[in-house]
Amino acid sequence: MSKINENIVRETLKLRNFPQLEEAGMEFELESLRIVENEIQAKIKIPVQLRGKADLIREALELELIKIPGCGGAVLEMGYKIESGSAAPKTPPGLRQVKNVIAVASGKGGVGKSTVASNLAAALHLDGFSVGVMDTDMYGPSMSKMFGVNEGPGVDENKSLIPVTTNGIKIVSMAMFTDDSSPVIWRGPMVSQMVQNFLNNVIWGELDFLIIDLPPGTGDIQLTLTQMAPLTGAVIVTTPQEVSVIDAKKGLKMFEKVSVPVLGVVENMSYFQCSKCSEKHYLFQEGGGERISRSLGVPFFGGIPIETEVSAAGDAGTPIVWRKPGSQSAQTFMGLAREMVERLNLLMDKSGSFLVNYNYQWDQLPAEA
Amino acid sequence: MKMNPPVKIAKKGENNLVIHWQDGSKSDLNGYKLRISCPCASCVNEWTGDKILNVNSIDKAVRPNQIFNVGRYAMGIKWNDGHESGIYSYDYLKELS
Repeated sequence: MSKINENIVRETLKLRNFPQLEEAGMEFELESLRIVENEIQAKIKIPVQLRGKADLIREALELELIKIPGCGGAVLEMGYKIESGSAAPKTPPGLRQVKNVIAVASGKGGVGKSTVASNLAAALHLDGFSVGVMDTDMYGPSMSKMFGVNEGPGVDENKSLIPVTTNGIKIVSMAMFTDDSSPVIWRGPMVSQMVQNFLNNVIWGELDFLIIDLPPGTGDIQLTLTQMAPLTGAVIVTTPQEVSVIDAKKGLKMFEKVSVPVLGVVENMSYFQCSKCSEKHYLFQEGGGERISRSLGVPFFGGIPIETEVSAAGDAGTPIVWRKPGSQSAQTFMGLAREMVERLNLLMDKSGSFLVNYNYQWDQLPAEA
Repeated sequence: MKMNPPVKIAKKGENNLVIHWQDGSKSDLNGYKLRISCPCASCVNEWTGDKILNVNSIDKAVRPNQIFNVGRYAMGIKWNDGHESGIYSYDYLKELS
């Protein structure tokens, strides 16, 4: 029989010690609460904008919890919650509880798009978000492999598909419907049909993020997909070579045409860091991704080094951010995921505290001394 | 990197553009300097990073005609010398100041 009053704990974990946050309309969410003898164990989710202050908030709340009569100790675990960015009115039913749909795209094949998509998903999940992955690359679906999934999706009584869950991530992949060894020869309309099925008939449930791995290119299929799925934003993957950068630029233009915000450009295979001399060797030309970002005014998320462990981890069915969290690549992916969340927050910020849409003539601008 | 969008845009003197950022800082950008720093593909070779624009061809008194947002991260500027394709990301504008 514990003597700690649970209601007092719940009240304490609310916002009353943070009047500024309450004013800003922010809320903490109590995810779990356990009282073991005289110790309080709780997990709360705070708005992801406050990530930088998580430790301060945790300490402040733990101090308050200790003051509760009968409490001998308090352990607080912090998670993050994110608002929904996809406000499309005709959201397919399976996606209604999905807060953000992010497309990972590349102009060219073989640039590591699926590696980026799987690690982005894994990184977001490590940060405490609920994540799903939809692999729509019918020509080379590789998500099952990268997450080590060997089974197909389940089917419920309404003939809806239930994603496979692995390490907490929900996955549906074209690979689950095709044979590894034979090539897929599908016409455009068949692919559209399949993708429509993925969007309409998969029960994704509640997700903070659904990552869609798009097939490479900027053809009919990609365009259809970007229009059917209520995309919150897109991440473009390229390699430093000119051939890849040129195609990535087409990808950027495509999203621009369908009004999907490009959250940023990731450059894969940026350099090779020698383990002997620890020098960065730019095997391809340096800075391709950064240059298109600059000329088109979209954010550059950074370059991911060539590390044999990245592809080995993918082949082994565990993304590098899980397998070798300390590696340079894993760190870069974690940074990429966090910066993407920052960019999303900016997209969703409706506080009016900065300029969003503006169009001034020179004469209209106020003059300063 | 912390996102830092503009809160106010103003002009100063004949051709300076002043941008007040959310973090409280301010960029005072000379029109000529801004024009010759245009990052667009017709001013800078995207591949080599070399400047294509002949800076001697630009009038020192050049100034923006129109200033507008491009998405959430960048500012488009149309100039009174007719150049219209420049998109300056906020990060880049901060760098220039």
